[in-house]
Amino acid sequence: MNLERRYAKAIIGIVAIFAVGLVLFFIFSAGYGDGLERTMEEAGAEEQDPVYSAPLDYGEDWPTAFLAGIVGFAVVFVVVIAYLKISNRRKSEARGEK
Amino acid sequence: MHIPDGLMDPLVAGIGWIVALTFLGYAIYRINGKVDDKTIPFMAILGAGIFVAQMLNFPIGGGTTGHLLGAALAVFLLGPWGALVIISVILVIQALIFGDGGLTAMGLNIMNMAVIGSLVAWVTIRIFPKKHEKLAVPLAAWTSVFVASLFTAIELSTSYSISGGIYGISAAIAFPTMLGYHAVIGIGEGIITGAIIYYLAKVAPETLKMQIGAKSAEVTQ
Repeated sequence: MNLERRYAKAIIGIVAIFAVGLVLFFIFSAGYGDGLERTMEEAGAEEQDPVYSAPLDYGEDWPTAFLAGIVGFAVVFVVVIAYLKISNRRKSEARGEK
Repeated sequence: MHIPDGLMDPLVAGIGWIVALTFLGYAIYRINGKVDDKTIPFMAILGAGIFVAQMLNFPIGGGTTGHLLGAALAVFLLGPWGALVIISVILVIQALIFGDGGLTAMGLNIMNMAVIGSLVAWVTIRIFPKKHEKLAVPLAAWTSVFVASLFTAIELSTSYSISGGIYGISAAIAFPTMLGYHAVIGIGEGIITGAIIYYLAKVAPETLKMQIGAKSAEVTQ
């Protein structure tokens, strides 16, 4: 199997694990706080209003969480690709390559 | 483990920004132009996958959940500096688009999860005996979560002390609860990271050897 096909298989495997996990974990954990949130609860520390209001959130049910996951997945993917491509191009230009 | 706005003393948050930007700047310098074009899509998919994984809160009992940090996973695949940059990108997007983690606390979140998470995982891998390297995967993942939570507890208690209780959480609560919960959450991190790394070792072992901008810390099958 060539390198590209093995990479593709690896990528599909990782995406499948995360896609299935997104639904399963949300079903089992909805409504519970994470370790820091529980620590804040136990200390009686209330969460303050954020200084910035984000346009989206992770949703209250699994369909909206799934949608948020897809949006986040796409945004991170595009940002990382764009950053690395630009970084490589600048480096090549600095070396005087075409 | 995403710290919200208003929890930490501004001085502690400021120190977090300085540490985060220093290490992030160095990491960008280390990976700049060193990523093979063929591996860029893989890095992007990994980053996107870790974003999703950080959304997944798995139950640890007692009405508490944890989520994957992903730093150790990224270190195994990209090396410490690539991991640091990718996790930082994820944290910035989480804060700016989804409001997960405060804007003023972003420096601390990057410091705890991207800088400390990645470097602790990397050091654990490097110092672990080669003959037991299979154990290094879950151990590095567990250690990265535990030490990141230790630093969060230090930041909480320092904020509490220097602000006279206006910010942060007292050490008596912060240390046992943060470390207790994250000792268990780290086990989940170790299992998930181990499963993914061993899967990749079987189907595409080349992906474990990218190690951008760092000397190799390879994991073999």
